Amino acid sequence: MDNNSQITISDPTLRDGNHAVHHQLGREQIRAYATAANAAGVHIVEVGHGNGLGASTLQVGLARLTDAEMLETARECLTHTRMGAFILPGWGTTKDLLTAMRCGVDVVRVGAHCTEGDLTERHLGFLRERGVEAHGCLLMSHMATPERLAEECAKMESYGAQAVGIFDSSGHYLQAEVTERISAIRSAVSVPILFHGHNNLGMAVANSLSAAAAGASIIDGCARGFGAGAGNTQLEVLVPVLERCGYKVGIDLYQLLDAADLAERQLMNKVPTISSESLVSGLSGVFSGFRNRVLSIAAEQGLDARDIFFELGRRQVVAGQEDVIVQVAMDLKNSGNCSRSRGFTDQPSKKATFTG
Amino acid sequence: MPSTSLKVALLGAGLIGSDLLVKIHRSKWLDCTIVAGRNRETVGLRRAAALGYSVTDGGIEALLEQQDRYGLVFDATDATSHRLHWELLAPLNKKNIDLTPSGLGCMVVPCVNSGAALLQSHVSMITCGGQAGIPVLAALSQKISGIRYIEMVTTASSSSIGSATRRNLDEYIETTESAIRAFTRVQNVKTLVNISPAQPPCNFRVTISLLVPELELNTVSGFVQEAVKAVQLYVPGYRLLVCTLTERGRIFITIEVDGRGDLLPKYAGNLDIMNAAAVTIAEQYALDQSQHPNGKSVSG
Repeated sequence: MDNNSQITISDPTLRDGNHAVHHQLGREQIRAYATAANAAGVHIVEVGHGNGLGASTLQVGLARLTDAEMLETARECLTHTRMGAFILPGWGTTKDLLTAMRCGVDVVRVGAHCTEGDLTERHLGFLRERGVEAHGCLLMSHMATPERLAEECAKMESYGAQAVGIFDSSGHYLQAEVTERISAIRSAVSVPILFHGHNNLGMAVANSLSAAAAGASIIDGCARGFGAGAGNTQLEVLVPVLERCGYKVGIDLYQLLDAADLAERQLMNKVPTISSESLVSGLSGVFSGFRNRVLSIAAEQGLDARDIFFELGRRQVVAGQEDVIVQVAMDLKNSGNCSRSRGFTDQPSKKATFTG
Repeated sequence: MPSTSLKVALLGAGLIGSDLLVKIHRSKWLDCTIVAGRNRETVGLRRAAALGYSVTDGGIEALLEQQDRYGLVFDATDATSHRLHWELLAPLNKKNIDLTPSGLGCMVVPCVNSGAALLQSHVSMITCGGQAGIPVLAALSQKISGIRYIEMVTTASSSSIGSATRRNLDEYIETTESAIRAFTRVQNVKTLVNISPAQPPCNFRVTISLLVPELELNTVSGFVQEAVKAVQLYVPGYRLLVCTLTERGRIFITIEVDGRGDLLPKYAGNLDIMNAAAVTIAEQYALDQSQHPNGKSVSG
């Protein structure tokens, strides 16, 4: 536990935060925040649709701007800070990586579900061959054992990942679980380790400290926690707390606070909190990004969103499977398993549902 | 077995090829005269030999040497190998059904364009998502004008996706998108892949969304049901789970495919639909041949 170690901060306010606003961040918002984060000396600012490059779809939501527009806008303002992007193989392709590279991306996170590290091989290799820094990350990582996560991280390192690590996509972890996992990964790889927390159980900052103590040196955080579900690790809290624990971060506190104030004023409709649904999604280990879709489908169908979340957790549904939400809602309605439903009547025939 | 059964060769005796062999065996129109792999000790070749099939570990070379024994080849190997196999087989005037994602050959979906495909010697089964989604997409594009956008999400169990597919998701996406464009004439098309880690393994499914002008749900669901019934003739486990129409003109359809469980597990509907479609096309070649026994030779 070397508390003099340097921590690199990767800030996905302009990527994960897009989940919170249905991927509608506009040019002015991106410009304003990127400028502020750059001034504060944030190390990496990640930009894009919440689900990454190429993800602007009906499945998870259409973005206001194209990938290129978002990245170009940010690139102009990130004069010192490195620009990051995120990609999920199966969603984005190498064509999307080429677009990001044309826009001047510095580092790309290639993500996969935590048991499917080999899905990152192709895209990690593609980036490395072209001299772009590439990290491998495992999503929904609470769904695998520490040993399995270590194996998957080792695979990603062998594919050329220059950093590897885990996302707590549903905000499910408690500290001991993070310590166990980061320690296991630490024993299995020699590249830097990253940790990305979510705050569904109010544990994001504490989990991030545990990750750092166990050997993670790249920690993610978003301004005011702006991100999917209950939000991410709150960046402007994380940084001074890390420094108070003796880590070196090197980000200017006042300018960081100014960036967070700006984010609150200009990026978000409301500051993330742990709502009842977010708490339930964290407890049931369901991807935080489902929140908006679950709420709207629950309202449409007269169901309790919490029932939908628990059922999604039971079915081990993972990020990107928003289509299953519709089916879960139908199954709950048809089975009469909506003990807490508010008894709304169906809308007229244009929205009628037919099943074969 | 009718005397007019078509003699076929199977190239590739892995899990997919072995499942295909079970389906060929069940068909009264197809007679598998040779199973060609690379290694006599593999499970697939040993199984085929035990069932009484003539097997060889000589791969494509063996097929070239024994070309009088078959009129059609199923290629269940891999995309790179298929490229070579086709170069070597093309001059021999054999029908060639490609189950790999090589992107070569005339794309065929049995209930949509098998008539046109029969005029070709070299056909491609596209991808599993293509086989599952295109029947419905083609039907809707024929009946509805002004479709602005098509999106298809393919979801398969992690247990049913091999290492070659994992390295070639981009090719899967590109081949599937090209096929959707070709069969629907809609240009704005997006394909996504979700690989589900759920245990027990989830069934293969596709979720299709189309942005369309204003329509009535009953009209849409009528077209969809008709297309589903056509596929069920050769894929009995093809099931429509959801068919909805939103006020904003989005058709949303989810289809699940239960495999027959011949050799592949039932959840591997993605592999099963490819094999079932391939056998269906081969049977149509067989029928065509039996109706035109002195049929003119067809160039690819």
